[in-house]
Amino acid sequence: MADNLFFVEPTTSRRGFLKLITNLMIGLVAAVLTVPLVGGLIGSSFRLKKSRWADVGNISSLPLGQPTSMKFPYKTEDAYVRETVTHDVWVIKHSSSELTVFSPICPHLGCHYNWHPDENEFICPCHGSVYALTGKVLGGPAPRALDTLPWKLEKDRLFVEWETFRVGIPQKIRT
Amino acid sequence: MLSKILKWINERWPLTTVIRWSLEEEMPGGTSYAYIFGSCVLIVFLFQVITGVWQLLYFVPTTDRGYESLNYLRTEIPFGWLIHGLHYWGASAMIILVGLHLSQVYIWGAYKNPRQLTWLIGVGNLLLTLALGFTGPILPWDERGYWEAEVAVSSAGTAPFLGTVARNLLAGGTALGQMTVSRFFFLHVAILPGILMAFVILHLVAFRKFGISGPWDEAKRKLTGLFWPDQVFKDGVAVTLIFMALIGLSAYRPPLYSGPLDVLETFYVPKPEWYFLFFYQTLKAFHGVFEPIGTIGIPLLITLLLIFLPFYDRSPERNPGRRVTAMVCYAIFVTWVITMAILGYYSKPEASTSGAPVATEATQAVSSSAGDPTLQNLEGAKRGGQLVASLGCTACHRVNGQGGVIGPEFTSALLKGKSRQWLITQIRNPKAHFPNSIMPAFISATDQQVNDIVDFLLATAQGKSVAAGRLAKGPSAPPVPAGLPQKTTPTPSVAPGPHGPPQEASFAIGNVELGATIFHQSCESCHGAQGKGKVPNPGSADGTVPPLNPIDPTLFNKNAQTFVNDIDPYIQHGSIPEGPNPVLHMLSFGDSESLTQQMIANVEAYVLHLNGVNRAQITRPGLEPRTFFWLVVVVFGFVLGGFWVWKGRRREKINR
Repeated sequence: MADNLFFVEPTTSRRGFLKLITNLMIGLVAAVLTVPLVGGLIGSSFRLKKSRWADVGNISSLPLGQPTSMKFPYKTEDAYVRETVTHDVWVIKHSSSELTVFSPICPHLGCHYNWHPDENEFICPCHGSVYALTGKVLGGPAPRALDTLPWKLEKDRLFVEWETFRVGIPQKIRT
Repeated sequence: MLSKILKWINERWPLTTVIRWSLEEEMPGGTSYAYIFGSCVLIVFLFQVITGVWQLLYFVPTTDRGYESLNYLRTEIPFGWLIHGLHYWGASAMIILVGLHLSQVYIWGAYKNPRQLTWLIGVGNLLLTLALGFTGPILPWDERGYWEAEVAVSSAGTAPFLGTVARNLLAGGTALGQMTVSRFFFLHVAILPGILMAFVILHLVAFRKFGISGPWDEAKRKLTGLFWPDQVFKDGVAVTLIFMALIGLSAYRPPLYSGPLDVLETFYVPKPEWYFLFFYQTLKAFHGVFEPIGTIGIPLLITLLLIFLPFYDRSPERNPGRRVTAMVCYAIFVTWVITMAILGYYSKPEASTSGAPVATEATQAVSSSAGDPTLQNLEGAKRGGQLVASLGCTACHRVNGQGGVIGPEFTSALLKGKSRQWLITQIRNPKAHFPNSIMPAFISATDQQVNDIVDFLLATAQGKSVAAGRLAKGPSAPPVPAGLPQKTTPTPSVAPGPHGPPQEASFAIGNVELGATIFHQSCESCHGAQGKGKVPNPGSADGTVPPLNPIDPTLFNKNAQTFVNDIDPYIQHGSIPEGPNPVLHMLSFGDSESLTQQMIANVEAYVLHLNGVNRAQITRPGLEPRTFFWLVVVVFGFVLGGFWVWKGRRREKINR
């Protein structure tokens, strides 16, 4: 039987010993080879992407208390791909030094939501999540309020740290 | 339980039969370490398949990202260095083992009746292995890969009649490019390994049909051994040692980073992998119309000789002692391969293409133009004298005994006979006169500035001594008012330090040796040999050009990427040293395009190397390569040695 070929019972015969030690050697080589294979599979799967500050633009002309979508170029670094892509954020100016910056991604399932000035609400077209100006959930399936992003002002220029978060869960966890 | 499962399978698929077929073999003459090579090739081929497939998780076969994606695997993925290292060194191991396997079969006369077909399939395996070894290194499309593709495609082009067709089909276009990479990728990861796998199975089936040929001496054939476990044990020992050697090589001799592809780079000497060096060296003997003999004729002849070997050598005699012709031919062939490989390894390019621009420019310049030095505007010449210093000309050119030596000195002998237009062209577009010139094109200087410099040069040509501004004065001299308002100076700001972010070059892993060559040509005159220099820079706060070896501690960083990001802006955008009137400025090699981004990447790798930082630093090794290697050695030694001792004791006990 084939199992006698491989799974040798410890015998004291020379052939029994050879079978055992050969299996051991092959097993060790295979085990060591598994190390880089597992490393390669895991790769950067659990590595947080570095977030970067981006120059979003001048906010001096923004209307007060009204959400404005601001587009800006953002240098991404995704593994070995370095590109400049366009991102946008919702900016609500409360005063010349007080702002709220919302990520444009709906925390429900990652769609882009819109501002509806007539209703005074943010509404996501995908599944109908509704948010107040403050980001609070007013209706729909959204599990949490809109995600705010870190920002800073240098004179009148707004800088935002572009971050993304996991969607579909009540906690705000960076991705 | 296990035997139940086995029984269930065996009733539906002949598993036990297949295993028996592959393992149970009587070996006439017993087992031998001479028979290990076939198994070793098979196992190393499996390593190649596995590590090759794993690289596909990261590598992309594109002209713009191939090299970077491979480097990402090698430096940022845990054990990526090992995956690539095993694949790279595995290729070499496979070629050596195939060569040994073939030699053993040849010397033992094992290709003779009835094993002709086994031999033929084996020749096919050899060709496929070589083709894989050739197509692999092309894929990253770096300096090495590109030139190897160029040679492959051009060689195909020398074929008679079908040359152009073969060339264009191989390149996937009339010129090398993305389609070329895609084609070599297609060959290397799908077609060739697919055929090789099928051929390996055919080879094994043919081999099992007749078994090993064994010793030629009838008397020795009486003794028999078993393939499993006797021979497999020997194969296993060899495979284990090869595997550890491959890990050791990956740790201690990682594959070269040949630098990002730059077709403008003339310093790079393209040489094939070591296993093709003999062919590379042989090709040098065939010139002109005889070239196809080398590129097509010789490989074709060798292949045909191998294929038809069992058909023209029909004598059943297997004893090498009685096959003198065969053994002499073998010795000649092996000597030729080894000699040519060694010659090829140590060969140097016949003529340096990079050359020294200094000499050629100086000599050509004198004879090249019959210009008419018109009346000089002396005021202009004076302003020009200032600009020669402030625009950085003196970084390379000597004026009145001061300045760099990389370019020719501004003497009347050099400049005599130059027309105004010639000089303007030389400043605006140096390559128009000297294609190999490394002088930056001063496109950002204003017309007025260029005119003033030309006035100064024309005055120098006539032997008139125009004070060359700050040059004549020492570092303590008061600032000389620049002849022009600050606004029009091309250097956008006079604040010290570089202005602008790091560029493309900072992301690419350059090649240290190429960097050293470029450094020698473009950087050494100011920074000194190996960046150690204390080249005087009158008027700067330091009094000398900052040395790069060791570099200013504020720029140094142990992290290679951070270090590069620190120095890249200086090389890209230039900088003006602190101080009242620095004579020498750091030139903007990147902005002026006097060095390509790839060249800058190479220079950066060299500057890091000078400071003891490896540009190709592995940021996420999983485990440090050398530590991993020794850990593997210890584990193997401990487990196998321990087993040996335990077994010996057990046997002793039973014997007692």
